[in-house]
Amino acid sequence: MNSRTALYAQAIRGPVLLITAGVLFAMQQSGAVPLRQTWPLFIIVIGVMKLVERLASPRQPYPPAGGSAQ
Amino acid sequence: MRPRGSVSGPVIIILIGIVFLIHALHPELRILDFVAVYWPYLLIVWGVLAFLEVTLRFLRGSTIPVNGISSGSWVVIVVISLAGASLFEIHQPGHWWSNTDWGRGFNEAFLGDDHEYSIELVQKTVGAGPHIILENFRGDAKVTGIDGNQVSLSGHKSIRSVETSEAERANQQTPVEMTVRGNTVTIRCHQDQAGARAIVTSNLELSVPKGASLEATGTAGDFDISSLAGDVDLSSANAGVHLDDIGGNVKVDTRQSDIVRCTNVKGTVELRGHGTDVEVTKADREVNINGDYSGTVSLRELAKPVRVENLRTILNVESVPGEIRLDRGSLNAENIVGPVKLTAHSTDVSIDGWQNGLNLALDRGDIDLRPGHLPLANMVVRTRSGNIELALPETAKFQVTASTDHGDIDNEFGDSLKEQTSGSGARLEGSIGSGPDVSLTTERGSITLRKSSESKTGFPPAGTDVTATRTQVAELAAVAK
Repeated sequence: MNSRTALYAQAIRGPVLLITAGVLFAMQQSGAVPLRQTWPLFIIVIGVMKLVERLASPRQPYPPAGGSAQ
Repeated sequence: MRPRGSVSGPVIIILIGIVFLIHALHPELRILDFVAVYWPYLLIVWGVLAFLEVTLRFLRGSTIPVNGISSGSWVVIVVISLAGASLFEIHQPGHWWSNTDWGRGFNEAFLGDDHEYSIELVQKTVGAGPHIILENFRGDAKVTGIDGNQVSLSGHKSIRSVETSEAERANQQTPVEMTVRGNTVTIRCHQDQAGARAIVTSNLELSVPKGASLEATGTAGDFDISSLAGDVDLSSANAGVHLDDIGGNVKVDTRQSDIVRCTNVKGTVELRGHGTDVEVTKADREVNINGDYSGTVSLRELAKPVRVENLRTILNVESVPGEIRLDRGSLNAENIVGPVKLTAHSTDVSIDGWQNGLNLALDRGDIDLRPGHLPLANMVVRTRSGNIELALPETAKFQVTASTDHGDIDNEFGDSLKEQTSGSGARLEGSIGSGPDVSLTTERGSITLRKSSESKTGFPPAGTDVTATRTQVAELAAVAK
């Protein structure tokens, strides 16, 4: 667990959300499940990504002032 | 070395450019139609590209961007989603967009490729008075009553999809079925079985025994129904409705419609919902119009009481040998039988020829009344803001009370009517012979009481043959000219 993993986890948040949105829209348009039934999944994915970031970040929730993140 | 920017953004821009290039070079490929259905995959591709890019950088040990997708890209994504969703919406048939000229042109040029299929003729023998049920469907339906005891069904399907194979499959999935159980004939189009990528519109032509009754629900499409002796009960989200020669009661419920036209109905007529124009001509029993119609409500030759009610207007008359036209903001009536009761907001009212009492209450609007025949009946006319003009035959007998809070009174009936002014208003009272009460009140506006040029008493009493009355009205009009 280093801060590089944390940076990675943060960077993939956008792409993952975008893929989720694309899948939900595609499902809506194919007539399978309408968006009004699936939108909460989007919130869940945001939550999961946040959780992953939290887990990936170094175990130092409050770094000392001026301390290095490395 | 300066870190390289993201590559997925530029790749997507190139893709969008290619789409429009294809459209410009080969409009017959209907690439936008394709985009309307498949644009969400663009988001997925973009997401996967960005994901791979970040992962590659992570594995190679080069600089990882703070965000896999920059805020500028998010703006582009939102724009793509909005445009894609709207394109998909207007690509559906029956959408308001495709009902406008501009929208139709746009759709024809860029979207939708209609594939036509015919619906094979089905004929079944039923009783002389079957009950026909048309289950929830999209498309036009033409139902005609004929002699005999056979129901025959034919028509065609129009299927809109990107690929022909898709339309082919949708055609297989949506057979038009007719089942007979006892006296009930049910027709199903199974349109919901085709996915959203193929949109099926089934246009049906039905001929049924004359004695049939009909019950139909539709999502979009016109109903054209004629020569049925039974009841007709229609409900539709968006339809034009034409009914002609119906023996039973008619009930029409529309959420949207360009016109509801009923001609020659022997039973009651009940119209509800929202729409534009309404035309009811020749109905032998009560007519009830309860809904919000933004166009013209036109009523002609109605033998029994008529009630029109919407948010702004309530109108009751006993019968309409002549005609009533109710537009947004005006009501014109000619030859009607009262007691007439009208309550309305901003409406200019003009009534030419009526029998029995009149009770008129307006919020705002000018009133122009010509009873046209004698003897007069009680008249209570009130408007809060507007001019009142009443033209009475010279020989009329009546007792008048007219008052305005701000305005003048103009009286052609001479000094037997006493006029007094008070402040900016005026009041006129008195009687000519002994006759019914005529009460005219406006809070702001002038009142004119004048002698009509002709004093006809030729209107037949209520209950006479409607067509005879109509001819007489025409004659009277000719005389007046």
